[in-house]
Amino acid sequence: MPAPGDAVLERMVGFGRVLREAGLEVGPGRLQDALRGLEVVGLAHREDVFHALRCTLVARHDDLDAFDAAFAAYWERAGRTPAPEIGLEVPRFEPDSAPAPSAAEGEGGGDDGGEELTLLLAASPDERLRRRDFADMTAAELGRLRRLMERLPKAVPMRRSRRLRAARAGDALDARRTLRRAMRTDGLPFDPAYRSRKRVPRKLVFLCDVSGSMEPYARAMVMFLQAVIASGRHVEAFAFGTRITRLTPHLRKLDPARALAATGGLMPDWGGGTRIGESLRHYNDTWGRRGLTRGATVVVVSDGWERGDLRELDTELGRIARQAHRLIWVNPLKGRDGFAPLAGGMRIALRHSDEFVEGHNLVALEALADVISR
Amino acid sequence: MADPVSIDALTAELAEQAYLADRGLATVLALSLALSKPVLLEGEAGVGKTEAAKALALVTGGRLIRLQCYEGIDVAHALYDWNHARQLLYIRTLEASAALDPGRTLHDLFGREFLERRPLLEAIEHTDPVPPVLLIDEIDRADDEFEAFLLELLSDFQVTIPEIGTVRAASRPRVVLTSNRTRDLHDALKRRCLYHWIGHPDTEREIAIVRARVPGVPERLAVQAAAFVASLRELDLAKVPGVAETIDWIQALVALGESELDAGVVDSTLGSVLKHHEDIELVRDGHLSRLVAQAREG
Repeated sequence: MPAPGDAVLERMVGFGRVLREAGLEVGPGRLQDALRGLEVVGLAHREDVFHALRCTLVARHDDLDAFDAAFAAYWERAGRTPAPEIGLEVPRFEPDSAPAPSAAEGEGGGDDGGEELTLLLAASPDERLRRRDFADMTAAELGRLRRLMERLPKAVPMRRSRRLRAARAGDALDARRTLRRAMRTDGLPFDPAYRSRKRVPRKLVFLCDVSGSMEPYARAMVMFLQAVIASGRHVEAFAFGTRITRLTPHLRKLDPARALAATGGLMPDWGGGTRIGESLRHYNDTWGRRGLTRGATVVVVSDGWERGDLRELDTELGRIARQAHRLIWVNPLKGRDGFAPLAGGMRIALRHSDEFVEGHNLVALEALADVISR
Repeated sequence: MADPVSIDALTAELAEQAYLADRGLATVLALSLALSKPVLLEGEAGVGKTEAAKALALVTGGRLIRLQCYEGIDVAHALYDWNHARQLLYIRTLEASAALDPGRTLHDLFGREFLERRPLLEAIEHTDPVPPVLLIDEIDRADDEFEAFLLELLSDFQVTIPEIGTVRAASRPRVVLTSNRTRDLHDALKRRCLYHWIGHPDTEREIAIVRARVPGVPERLAVQAAAFVASLRELDLAKVPGVAETIDWIQALVALGESELDAGVVDSTLGSVLKHHEDIELVRDGHLSRLVAQAREG
């Protein structure tokens, strides 16, 4: 095996660094594959080099654009910086939210000293916080909210898998185990073994409105989503205002402030107008078309204030409702006094939804977790 | 260890099998042969992911072994199972002939003749002179646990069957995985693979593909139909037609004896291209005659 020239090696290591800056996961293993790939295709043709590096260094469709840009910039000196700067100003939590509470921390312990007096007079401050509308919370309260979110009941919808597992009494005879046991009794199956369908997590898709009217609730929702996403790989989350953005990988970040910063950077419409129908269409045409909606529990979080075409909302929500196992609509404004679902969009939402719940405070989100798990 | 494989030669050989790969796909397949690494092909339905594996098998001369994934697929479906009915029958026969010797019988019962080989074991145990092509189709439909199991299998190409022992591949099968990207696969699995995204072909390539796949298709029909499908992809459809649909459609048109498109023919055969009621309505109501006219003009 001819060793790649040192110059190539050096350039490749540099390229790996550029790709990592652009957000790709390029470890030594991948770089090694890339170098071996270059040996196979040679360095004579730009296109072959491009494809050889692309298939060895990229592992997901979302990274293809970043790779193409980095390739052009690094190997062709197109004069562009490959890593797009995320420079959007993003709301931050107050400092008291920063230190992560240890897992062993007891219930109700470790609260601010200033809360002690009210602790004596009323229910625990946590209890009050649970019932407080997210929109009325101060930054410090939002910070404390995160800790409470970690104690939310698990929101995991289940479905029966095709897969069978051993059970005392079940749907199907387990021939394999029955036979094994029969060997003990001289080939007579005295003791039949059964299998039953295993229950596995159902796909769960969140579509969150983060436009102007929803802004007071968006931050609490990000925390809620983080808690849900931490529960497994079956969850996908998207944000929309005028277009749809996938949040899942960003919400996996442990620190909510950083997760929020990342989502804020992705979302040019954070605090803008709402075009629900158009956003849902975008979702349907990309993720929905690939089959994400089918059989999933879909949760839409929005107040239903549609600034776009109501008929489009009707069509697209209909597409989702037909494919999804269950469609749950969460409207944080529902919990406000005097709310009636009169916004045009809300009427359409009611028509297609299986469940319609509120989401304005922690108690409501706990209820939501229950509804999802049902 | 890296045998040089000519990308041009592979492209030509694939074309002989009526599979027209673009430079990117040909490069990936060439690299997978040269580096003995699995390939992960992603793309929308009907862009030719599965066909690529079939063509690769024809080119290399290896057998194609296909494992179709689905929700809840498990080892008994993918790797091996015991043929319980045969085992029971065997016991009964021995009993009837009074030849039952518990120790021996047990040993015999879990011998290879009672083993049902599923695709993965088939691929590992092969004795072919040329390694087979193992196609693991729509891996995104299988669940996480199965993915983890595959990961293990793809890293050392050996499995242990408790009753028989460890089975190791004499030569590694070529592995092609496909995914419709309904969910993200584990990074660990992706790390084992070369990755390629197959998009819809441009009109020129699509015409060439149609010519290769439907021999004897009238030239004008191929050009017009490819242009028509390309314009359909611009529309706002629930399911964008892939190359597979184009080929189906043209086969239907050829079977009907058509040599070019007109509005009536398109209208009556639209169901071969578009598979959603809403999509068909959309095209019928708003675009059909315009698109047909455009396609005819070229």
